[in-house]
Amino acid sequence: MHVRWLIPFGAAAVSQAAFATQYMSVQQAQQEAFAGASEFRPTAAPDAAALAAVGAPGGWSPQIFTAQAGDKKLGWLIVDQVIGKSEAITYSLALDTAGTVIALEVLEYRESHGGEVRMPAWRKQFVGKTAADAAALNRDIKIISGATLSCRHLTEGVQRLLKLYQAALKTPA
Amino acid sequence: MSVRLQRARPWLGTLVEMRVDAADTACARAAIEAAFAEVEAAHRRMSFHEPDSDLSRLHAALPGTAVDIDPRTLDVLRCALELAERSDGHFDPSIAGELVAQGFLPAPRSPFVPDRGANWRDVELIEAGRVRLHRPLWLDLGGIAKGYAVDRAIEQLLAHGADIALVNAGGDLRAAGAFEEIVHLRGADNSAVSGAVAIRDAALATSIGAATRRRSGNAWIGTHFDARDRRAVGLSAAASVIAPTCMLADALTKVVFAAPAALTRRVLDHYRAQAVVDEAGTARHYSNAA
Repeated sequence: MHVRWLIPFGAAAVSQAAFATQYMSVQQAQQEAFAGASEFRPTAAPDAAALAAVGAPGGWSPQIFTAQAGDKKLGWLIVDQVIGKSEAITYSLALDTAGTVIALEVLEYRESHGGEVRMPAWRKQFVGKTAADAAALNRDIKIISGATLSCRHLTEGVQRLLKLYQAALKTPA
Repeated sequence: MSVRLQRARPWLGTLVEMRVDAADTACARAAIEAAFAEVEAAHRRMSFHEPDSDLSRLHAALPGTAVDIDPRTLDVLRCALELAERSDGHFDPSIAGELVAQGFLPAPRSPFVPDRGANWRDVELIEAGRVRLHRPLWLDLGGIAKGYAVDRAIEQLLAHGADIALVNAGGDLRAAGAFEEIVHLRGADNSAVSGAVAIRDAALATSIGAATRRRSGNAWIGTHFDARDRRAVGLSAAASVIAPTCMLADALTKVVFAAPAALTRRVLDHYRAQAVVDEAGTARHYSNAA
């Protein structure tokens, strides 16, 4: 275990920093969920009535791709975004043709619209030893301890997509 | 050449993020899948909410009854009880009744209400993976279980050939391998970064009173307690702890809030942990561990 304290506590907060991570592209999510697929067909979103029926908020527009292996339908990959109090999460849900969840992946996470984290003026209070430390601290924040992010919105988003499957994607029996 | 893979999925009530460097993509993906399976297992076994979790089964049993418990839950319980003992009961996982009474946790399905005189000494770990409560009490392993899940995930990532690994479960994090990770620390004001630290082969957890407290009448109530007198603590403080494991780091943030300074220092030193507490514009460092 090795520890170096770089910035002392109690520093005045003066600037703002947004915080974002991209984990996967849509294409990566498609290929990992459906390794045997030959094609991902963009599929029109259900009409407004179907969206309203699943309790979708206004303006909701998930991107739907149908995974195909030749003529055979393997399932769907749906890309959706949920917006919380201070964060926006883009995620993908992969479903097989029976509606079973194959994969749930966060594609991108952003702290946004007012959720910026206030940062001290690093250079003034900097106590690290090397120029590399200074550069690292002034780059984007990679990790903030004590982030209290709740995944409630994401869970609700997944529930909504499963209802959307029932209402609009499921093959009628 | 190695490849880097980064993934995030919702578990443990937060976003669990993993990063690995491995020899190839297949290796990295297998490592991450195995690690997420461990996180899922910890979530299902140790949740206060899930009706089939070990904790829910324990709370549903009559006091005095021995209940079969998963070895992983036992690991966490053992750690929690050890810290309760070392902190002279200032930290106590049996405080969950208080959290339910104040609306921070839902009431479990249970044939009893907790006895306000019960404490960690009424939890007995018996042979062959069973646990017995001697008096009516409810246990919350919340943050510690999250830390444990991070540790298990790190073990899986390394066992599957990752060269370096990082797991971050909503601010409970651990780094393993030959790299230094810079972590920005939130302070007592939850919306501001107040410090930064570089860690290598270490775990870090932060607890922030302001993140979970709320108003009750004209007073604040919060989720951290000094269990000795059931008094709320850390309402306007942030505690960050760096320790060899994430389970310890998380649990020790609660000790830091609850225990007197001299005792806190002894407990931190015992685990070779360091801490910083940010409160009312001043910072107290516990960083002289041998």
